[in-house]
Amino acid sequence: MILSYFTPFEVFAQFKGIATNWVVIISAVTVAMGLVYMTNAQIKMYQRNRTPLQLAYVLTTYFFFFAFLISGLAYPGDINSREYQWWFQNIYGNVGATVYAVMFFTLASSAYRTFVVSSIEAVALLLGGMLYTLRQIPLFQVYIPWIVPLGEWVLLVPNTAGGRGAVVAAALAALVVGIRTLWGKEVTLEVAS
Amino acid sequence: MYIIKTGTYLDLSLLVILIIAMYYYNKIALAGKLPPLRKIPAIEAITEGVGKSIEENKPVHYAMGASGGQLYSQLVSMTIVALAFLHYIARLCAKYGAKLIVHMPYQAESIPLIEAMVRDGYKVEGKPELFDISCLRYHGYGALTWTQSVTASYDAEGVGLNLSIGIFYSDCPISLEMAKIKGGLNVGGTGRWIMVYAFAMMCDYVFLGQEIYTAGAIISQNPYLLSGVFVEEVGKYYSYILLILGFIAAALGAGAAFFAL
Repeated sequence: MILSYFTPFEVFAQFKGIATNWVVIISAVTVAMGLVYMTNAQIKMYQRNRTPLQLAYVLTTYFFFFAFLISGLAYPGDINSREYQWWFQNIYGNVGATVYAVMFFTLASSAYRTFVVSSIEAVALLLGGMLYTLRQIPLFQVYIPWIVPLGEWVLLVPNTAGGRGAVVAAALAALVVGIRTLWGKEVTLEVAS
Repeated sequence: MYIIKTGTYLDLSLLVILIIAMYYYNKIALAGKLPPLRKIPAIEAITEGVGKSIEENKPVHYAMGASGGQLYSQLVSMTIVALAFLHYIARLCAKYGAKLIVHMPYQAESIPLIEAMVRDGYKVEGKPELFDISCLRYHGYGALTWTQSVTASYDAEGVGLNLSIGIFYSDCPISLEMAKIKGGLNVGGTGRWIMVYAFAMMCDYVFLGQEIYTAGAIISQNPYLLSGVFVEEVGKYYSYILLILGFIAAALGAGAAFFAL
């Protein structure tokens, strides 16, 4: 792999291509191993909780597993078959979108905890975040059109300036900590090793 | 015909520097003469979290990310660190008698390594009989199935400590916050800087970016991982030097020639 990067010889590039393909194949095949572990955990969970609801969870898992497997194997090498695409678009895609939608609630919950307005800096952060978010929502773009240029200004001027300052400061701090670590002078904190 | 491709000379020089640094630091690490590393508060929080789990009679959850088992990408270093943490948490759980649940990534090729780490953790503490294979949970292929199953596990079995270290994408805002909502102590970090925000917002104790590598080396006390921390610094400084040389070359009008090396 290293030779294929640094040398111009075709043989190394070909080897890299073959090895990369095999990595993908091996990775895909090992999913069967995951199925063994999943089955083990599903059985144990049902043994611990022998209720119709738990049984429904177990059966649902395997129903969809076999549904995808059969629709995939029915047309070998063609994941664009109508049947497989139906399952993918109508089940996997929708479930995926729903799970991602949950992220809104988890982010809102954590943002509430994190951005508690307790100082002038927190107020600035809250206002900046609100402007940044609201300017992207069509409802606000239509009824409060001035929020778009204001949000853009906050993003491009104070945010960029502050961000660059933070990055420069962090880079300088990393340099200092790195030098102290390499020289064994990082003694301001208790020694861990 | 050249043996080395044009445009890779600087990369090659970095590789050579890193090999030399690795040789040097491995040698002094094996002799036990490495400079000390600073203490990271989140490491101690892991032990606290295990204690909390025992007091509340809830399990310790360990996750290395839905895609955290990669053994073939540029992110593989995070998989190695995640495995070091897994061994550490397995040891702590075996030592104190806490129940451990490991949410395995969907990259199933790392499953044998994961099982070996957990088994060895229990064995090192002299309690191999406590290892239960059903604590290793595989949730199917894809981040979405992983997120659903992990949060369902938090809900059904409770969370004392949720330790999340490794390769995380948009799976972590859901899993971390759900663990928090279910009363868990969140400790975690990722080397993927773009997701550090989620850990900073949602974790009680966070490993910021590359701190996971340092912390992984400290908890494992593996001389090769410890020396890796120093090698990484050498590589970083060499990159800074190249950057400064690039600035100077660009100012002198030779930037294109310099970066074509």
